Amino acid sequence: MDPSFLAQLLLNGIVIGVIYALIAMGLSLIFGVLEIVNFAHGEFYMLGAMLAYFLTAHWGFSYWPIIVIVTVVALALGYVLYEGLLLSLHGEGFERSILLTLGLSMVLQNGAVFLFTTTPKMMETSLSYSNIVVGDLRLPVARVFALGLGLFAFTALYLILHRTRIGKAMRGVAQNRDAALMVGIDPRAVSRLAVAIGIGLSGLAGAALAPVYAVHPLMGFSFVFKAFAIIIIGGLGNVSGAAIAAVMLGILESLAGGFLPLALVDALAFVSMIAVLLLRPQGLFGRGVRV
Amino acid sequence: MKALRIAAVVAGLVALFAIPQMTRNEYVLALGVSFAAMSVIAGGLNLVYGYVGLLSFAQVGFFGIGGYTAALLVVDRGWSLWAGVVAGGGLATLVGLVIGYSSLRLSRHAFAIVSLSFALLCMIVARDWVELTRGAMGIPGLPTPVMNLPWGLSWRLVRPADFYYLLMGVAALSHGLIYLVVTSRLGRAMRAIKLNEPLAQSQGINPLAYKLLAIALSALLAGIVGGLFVFYLTIVDPSIFDFYYTETTLIMVIIGGPGSFWGVLASSAVLTALPDMLRFTTDLRMVLYGIVLIAAMIVFPGGFGGWLHRRRVARWRRPRPGAPTNTPSITP
Repeated sequence: MDPSFLAQLLLNGIVIGVIYALIAMGLSLIFGVLEIVNFAHGEFYMLGAMLAYFLTAHWGFSYWPIIVIVTVVALALGYVLYEGLLLSLHGEGFERSILLTLGLSMVLQNGAVFLFTTTPKMMETSLSYSNIVVGDLRLPVARVFALGLGLFAFTALYLILHRTRIGKAMRGVAQNRDAALMVGIDPRAVSRLAVAIGIGLSGLAGAALAPVYAVHPLMGFSFVFKAFAIIIIGGLGNVSGAAIAAVMLGILESLAGGFLPLALVDALAFVSMIAVLLLRPQGLFGRGVRV
Repeated sequence: MKALRIAAVVAGLVALFAIPQMTRNEYVLALGVSFAAMSVIAGGLNLVYGYVGLLSFAQVGFFGIGGYTAALLVVDRGWSLWAGVVAGGGLATLVGLVIGYSSLRLSRHAFAIVSLSFALLCMIVARDWVELTRGAMGIPGLPTPVMNLPWGLSWRLVRPADFYYLLMGVAALSHGLIYLVVTSRLGRAMRAIKLNEPLAQSQGINPLAYKLLAIALSALLAGIVGGLFVFYLTIVDPSIFDFYYTETTLIMVIIGGPGSFWGVLASSAVLTALPDMLRFTTDLRMVLYGIVLIAAMIVFPGGFGGWLHRRRVARWRRPRPGAPTNTPSITP
């Protein structure tokens, strides 16, 4: 076995895993705090990538401003989503939340197909064709930046959840909603922030991946289902567990892609999820008992 | 009242089966076939979601498994259509029991997510396991089925009307079976589980058994209809697992009212015929469905059937004129 080939696969796996983590962490956070499975999560990833594409192609923005703009817009969208739609669920009805967000996903996805058609678009930035070469390894700059952004977002989220008052409140609501209410935590403010952060991460992932993959309206659809498998593997509502499971899945997929027929790679996430459910239903990293 | 209802059902059935006698319009017959297939999937979903309260995305997977199994057994192994269809229904049931049992160990939330992943896994397998399923091109040119009847007769299903009769017949039997289940003791136990699972358990009802029963029955019916439907299409390819079917049947159940047998049947008919006649493009139709779904979840969670039920309850509660009113009347 050629070691540099292996190292290359490993690196690619880590990059894609970190992007999975961006999406899965937001999904897990929203589930932990609101007990809502957000079916439309992938559509915000798609909208983030679309916005990034249009900002470059039509207004000629460069990479860093785009990342900031898209993330801020996604945070704002999350805020609107919570106040406009999710609030009306009043925290009851797991199935209702799925159907509501599924409806939203249908509107966003098919609306995007109607407006922009399904033709894939390539986002051309200054970093599109540049590579970082270390020895035998070759890494596209856009992927390295995506990796950096993912790690930065993960650290930021970890610090928010563990070091700030509002982050601790969020974890408190996720652990025990009634007790959190009793000590005077405002569930509305906490939920709103959780949704905004979750959607913001999803938008950021879209912007970070737009220069790596083609942008099209159906891109969020397949991605979000992988994210569902990841949050089950990591333990429903466990944000760090989701991040670890995501990176593991990314590496596993990348290695499998190097050695196994392509057919098995896409199925890997679902098969591992069913295996985890059979062997360790609470997820690899616990939690989930409460669900 | 009961006689009236039976008369209405008989009249409806007679009308449905008389349609091919009155018209040779293939468009009408095609709508009828697609209503028969979709209404059985929606009816099964209603059993699982409306009666035991499990949101399932797996129904389209059962449908497709039935289709693929029947097609492969007939084309590759030379089985008769009927054996293939029964095998398809059986395999779908088995798969349904496996995913139901494995995910319900955790929670009904896990069931929803696992059923979704299962449906996607089906599509991936159909597309990528080329040696078995022939990949994205599917299996075209399925043969014309022949049904051997008693007294040496045989029925070759060549005309659209033949498939119309066959699928309508199977759909009528399926809905009859679902109706028997939901109006029997089984159906009441299922409803009890949906309303309050711990309470139902305390009355000696085993929730897991009823949940698995609902899943298995819905999988069996969807598998059988899937097996027949692909021979009507004469092709089976991975698009049989399209998420579009899931969304459409979900809309049928939500609009008709989860847990309302007649409501879901009616909404299946309306939602098969109406969008097709209005000639929306698929994208716009799905945008519209999405808006309907959001609106239904916010203002109309019980669907049409739920609305009728609330109205009936309100009428029962209304004091009769002339009755002594020593208690304050409850007005909604």
